Amino acid sequence: MKNVRIFYTKGSRMRFVSHLDMTRFMTRMLRKAKLPIWYTEGFHPHAYITFALPLSLGFESDYEIMDIRLNDDDYPIQDICDKLNAVFPEYVHAFCVAEPVQKVGKIGFAQFEITFQDNGLLLEALKEFLARNEIKCLKKTKKGAMKEIDIAPKIVESRVEGLENTTLYLTLPAGGEDNVNPELLLNAFFEQSGQNYYCYLVRRIGILNTEKEIFK
Amino acid sequence: MDNKRLEELLLTVQKPGRYSGGEINSVVKDKKNIDVRFAFCFPDTYEVGMSHLGMKILYSVFNEREDIWCERFFAPWVDFEKVMTDEKIPLFALESRDALSDFDIIGFTLQYELSYTNLLNMLKLGGVPLKACEREGLKNLVVAGGPCACNPEPLSDFVDLFFLGEGEEVDLELIDLYKQCKKNGASKQEFLQKAARIEGVYVPSLYDFSYNEDGTIASVTAKDGAPETIRKRIIKDLDKAHYPDRFVVPYIEIVHDRAVQEIFRGCIRGCRFCQAGFIYRPVREKSPDVINSQARALCENTGYDEVSISSLSTSDYRKLEPLLNEMLDWTNEEKVSMSLPSLRIDNFSPELLEKISHLRKSGLTFAPEAGTQRLRDVINKNITEDEILRTCRTAFEGGYTQVKLYFMLGLPTETDDDLRGIAQLGQKIVNAYYDTPNRPKGKSVNVGISVSSFVPKPYTPFQFEPQITREEILRRQQVLRESITTKKISLSWHESKTSFLEGVFARGDRRLGAVIETAFKKGCRFDGWDECFELEKWLEAFEECGVDPAFYANRTRSFDEINPWDHLDYGVTKKFLICENCAAHNAVTTPNCREKCAGCGAAIFGEGVCFEKC
Repeated sequence: MKNVRIFYTKGSRMRFVSHLDMTRFMTRMLRKAKLPIWYTEGFHPHAYITFALPLSLGFESDYEIMDIRLNDDDYPIQDICDKLNAVFPEYVHAFCVAEPVQKVGKIGFAQFEITFQDNGLLLEALKEFLARNEIKCLKKTKKGAMKEIDIAPKIVESRVEGLENTTLYLTLPAGGEDNVNPELLLNAFFEQSGQNYYCYLVRRIGILNTEKEIFK
Repeated sequence: MDNKRLEELLLTVQKPGRYSGGEINSVVKDKKNIDVRFAFCFPDTYEVGMSHLGMKILYSVFNEREDIWCERFFAPWVDFEKVMTDEKIPLFALESRDALSDFDIIGFTLQYELSYTNLLNMLKLGGVPLKACEREGLKNLVVAGGPCACNPEPLSDFVDLFFLGEGEEVDLELIDLYKQCKKNGASKQEFLQKAARIEGVYVPSLYDFSYNEDGTIASVTAKDGAPETIRKRIIKDLDKAHYPDRFVVPYIEIVHDRAVQEIFRGCIRGCRFCQAGFIYRPVREKSPDVINSQARALCENTGYDEVSISSLSTSDYRKLEPLLNEMLDWTNEEKVSMSLPSLRIDNFSPELLEKISHLRKSGLTFAPEAGTQRLRDVINKNITEDEILRTCRTAFEGGYTQVKLYFMLGLPTETDDDLRGIAQLGQKIVNAYYDTPNRPKGKSVNVGISVSSFVPKPYTPFQFEPQITREEILRRQQVLRESITTKKISLSWHESKTSFLEGVFARGDRRLGAVIETAFKKGCRFDGWDECFELEKWLEAFEECGVDPAFYANRTRSFDEINPWDHLDYGVTKKFLICENCAAHNAVTTPNCREKCAGCGAAIFGEGVCFEKC
């Protein structure tokens, strides 16, 4: 039995595939690629797959991580990328396969790139908004109740760029301990800044460990 | 269309995966190299439509051809429908995202009558004129097939032509003719006249109906060289017929989310209420080797870990045990689970149970359909109470504690005693459980009784019978409810209101077109969905159009009355149906096709069970 970590991208039409659906999808792809996957040994055996960090519906990602188990210790893991890419639709692409370096629990932060369809109109307002000392927003707690939190101190890093359209780069806490969805900040921005709404696309571009190094 | 805007909007609705496309094995072609663009429309939600085997077969048949590109369309759920209307997004193909109105041929599959308003809704959302006469030229030719095409008259205002029977061959013949006519610049009328000469194609505009004073049909007249009768098409050799080696694999969960392997078409049984049992005749089997290799290819190309064997009556497949042995060889190895729906009670052997007992243990489902032997004889459901109880005992010994039974309410000649018979049969099964010495220890039994309302259908011996009224359905439901005295039996129904509408359309004629259009304009669609069905609007529509729905649903039809479907030939003769109807009223059963040929007429196709050597 061998643990293998697969790094892949997810974009375009795959944005509409939820986390739950992704599990089923990946199970089928692993079968289709004929990888020697390890099955759980319960009454209903199923392929062992875990995702390091769920991705919200609608987000794209350059850095997705899935752990699987192979039942063949000698299987050449360098072949896995090609085998998966041969069966993946064009909107998913495996770019690296390796044995896990760190445990999933070590994930601390996630980096996002958010592109607005605004012709640069939001640039200044975003800069001003992100400079505030306090950004109040409502977050759903695990019990389902709404709770007001201040996310300004949680923003690890933020940067705004304006070329044709405005692009916002964010580093936010992620993982089991604390997790901030960039949608919280974006909703708060449109509600509190008085700006018109423009479409935007969220792309997760990196996952960092608790030491703010790239999670591998 | 602006893909960014569309994708943004998709994030505002439930289950955007219904509309996103891009699934594994979906087919994308370069439209520059395509002669005929075919819009395959399923008039229900994505989850329902994507579960339909016929669509998967035809999608594959069409896309095998380099000059055809077949794409998929489904009815948008009401949340996205509103977004589409508000944002002026036309109904689009999941593959190219092009609008429905961009397509040469728009094909609907008609699986149930309550999807008719969805057909209209999809045309409207796609920017295609509803009525056939409003669409000039060859572009946007609207065609339809499927079981409800056996009485297509209620839709004849909207659909240019119908395919009768199985589509794999006739659809391509029609597309070839279309391609040729498009190239030659033929008019729509010229095309339709030529199309009518293809066997299995029915062009309703080439037939004139006249009516008697009492509202019944006086005559049906063919014109412009169209044939007097139109015979359905069948695939003669299923082993050689195209079967997809891959299905489009959805991202979201659909109703039947698994590989489906067809093993035969038709049914030998001849249950008198069952339309499928007559319109798909004669029975034609695939050979075990073909089935096995097709199923295996499907699992490999889709990554599915479940395969379901599909037919109208799985246990009537003659080589079921060898087939299962062959399949279990690799399914166990590759951790693929197999499911066998549609098993009959009378040939459900302990060996078979043993075979499937390795597989997932869901409940067992049987369909006695009626509660007393007399009524089961009337409907020609040739199973006895002893067989039912014996099978249940076998199942209980095999570890099952749940049995689900299907019944129908409102069958011809049904009395209150027959209804009480349902409850009594349920009680006997409960008793059988407690009389089984090696039943599962310490567990209780649950007998589920699911009751639907009988709807008389064309091409069945009951096509002459009145459907009972809604009030009577409710009364009989009450009789049944009161006769069940144990909590070990759980009872569930189907809606009486929708059965009534289904009954009207099943045997309707072209005068119902106006009613469908009126109801649609009042906002009716998704009539098969309880949360959308609005009977009041339908009743208003009938009234406004001066159409009495009871004329279609609740009236006894004489044997010599001309039915709206009598000019369509499904092999089974009216004479046979009349004989069967008389036998039903005398509670006389008819042996199945393999025991003794009943001379139904399906032998005209020259294939299948009619010519099987014993």
